Amino acid sequence: MIANLLDGIVLGLQFGLLAAGLTLVYGLGGVLNLAYGQMAVVSAMVVLFTMEAGVPTLAAVGLGLLAGGLLGLILDLTVLPPIYRRHGEARVLLSLLVTLGVAFVVDGFFNWRFPLEGLTIRVGGGPIDIIGVPMRRGSLVASAITLVAMAGLLWFFRTTTTGRAVRSVIEDEEGARLVGIDPRRMLRLILILTGVLAGLVAVTRSMVAPVTVRAGFELTVSAMIVTVVGGLGSVTGALLAGILLGIINTIAASYIGTFLSLIILLVAAAVTILIRPSGLLGVAE
Amino acid sequence: MLEVRGLTAGYQGGDVVHDVDFHIRTGEAVMIIGSNGAGKTTLFRAMLGLLTPSSGQVRFEEADILGLPAQRIARLGIGFVPAERRLFPRMTVEENLALGAYPDRPDPETVELVMDLFPRLAERRRQRAGTMSGGEQQMLAVGRALTSQPRLLVLDEPTTGLAPKLAAEAYQALSLLRSRGLTVLVAEQQVPLAMALSDRGYVLENGAIRKEGTSAELANDPDVRRAYLGIA
Repeated sequence: MIANLLDGIVLGLQFGLLAAGLTLVYGLGGVLNLAYGQMAVVSAMVVLFTMEAGVPTLAAVGLGLLAGGLLGLILDLTVLPPIYRRHGEARVLLSLLVTLGVAFVVDGFFNWRFPLEGLTIRVGGGPIDIIGVPMRRGSLVASAITLVAMAGLLWFFRTTTTGRAVRSVIEDEEGARLVGIDPRRMLRLILILTGVLAGLVAVTRSMVAPVTVRAGFELTVSAMIVTVVGGLGSVTGALLAGILLGIINTIAASYIGTFLSLIILLVAAAVTILIRPSGLLGVAE
Repeated sequence: MLEVRGLTAGYQGGDVVHDVDFHIRTGEAVMIIGSNGAGKTTLFRAMLGLLTPSSGQVRFEEADILGLPAQRIARLGIGFVPAERRLFPRMTVEENLALGAYPDRPDPETVELVMDLFPRLAERRRQRAGTMSGGEQQMLAVGRALTSQPRLLVLDEPTTGLAPKLAAEAYQALSLLRSRGLTVLVAEQQVPLAMALSDRGYVLENGAIRKEGTSAELANDPDVRRAYLGIA
């Protein structure tokens, strides 16, 4: 039971970081990025190929994160401008279609060229005892990196002027403009940031289990479920919901079966919508 | 300081304000009075980049600002307090004030000035804006506009939703700001309050300027007395 709990937290931390990226872009621009999981896959593949080319792991990871950020910037410069000219429901729907298209293109490309690839980053050394449970070193390193990234995110949004400016756009876009904040620039910044986050999720996940070229949609779906439970636009909510759902997922997989765990996550999301439509910490409409 | 010429603007389906001219000199307080739906909000929104105007010209300190996005105009030195206030509800009073100074860190002296002007805000530094009363939110909205150290403060119906006592308090604060040399433009339905504050005023009806004059002239105008001051 405790082992499940710890594994759940390991998974949940990654869920949380993944969802933070999705929720930020949605909260900020009303854009639901269905290519988000594919951004993680692209990062993973950049890490994999550079490692295979003989680049040291740490440098390869750096390049992978850079690729994630660059992909975010490319999306912002190419497919987002026409979406951003629409408002309200039209923007959400158009963003769904366009980013889904991007996701298909990325998936299609990798399935065609590299159908069998998967990134695994091995973290050497034996298991470490955590309150009596032997934990794999990879899980611990992945969790430590994720925790540091989360702390960094919270610090950025709570204390820096730019972080607060991003939050202000989520809370009231017109209010933000009135104090001189350009929402479009904030969205660009956040797309780059979430690209890096997607890369970081890919890297930390690959320390626990392989990240294959087909992982994209599963990552996006997990992120969406966590986002719904955590509340759209709330980073703290995403992090909390991530950990909660990670634990639920692991326990469900262990006691009922892996095949049902995604359904149970969906049920958790549905129940959340029924009880608290704006999620754990969502911004009420 | 600000000169508006021939401003025509509106929404899809028709212009709401037509060919509006007015100006404000540095150090003045000017009011635009008019009933609900006269076009005061549309006028301000078009002037300040929140609404695309159909035609016209707006000059602020020698710069043409019409057509610039609101965020650029805000940084030129115009603080705008909209009727809906547009605060950041989940942020604290301090965070709201700090963002007023964006992209800079807020100047501590300016923040203290705001706190002196509105002692209620000082008591509630760490309270979330969304949990405060209407009057306190109005103070915060004015305070947020002030932390950018604007040269011109524009307010759209600052007394919206305020009890008479709070409305009078809001105008006391504005009059104090005036006396410190801030230029103020205010749109108002509660004409007596605005009249006491302002040097001059314009009457906006059905989207067009009908009358203009000093506050004293307008106060003695029979039409203004009947329509806005409730005096037959």
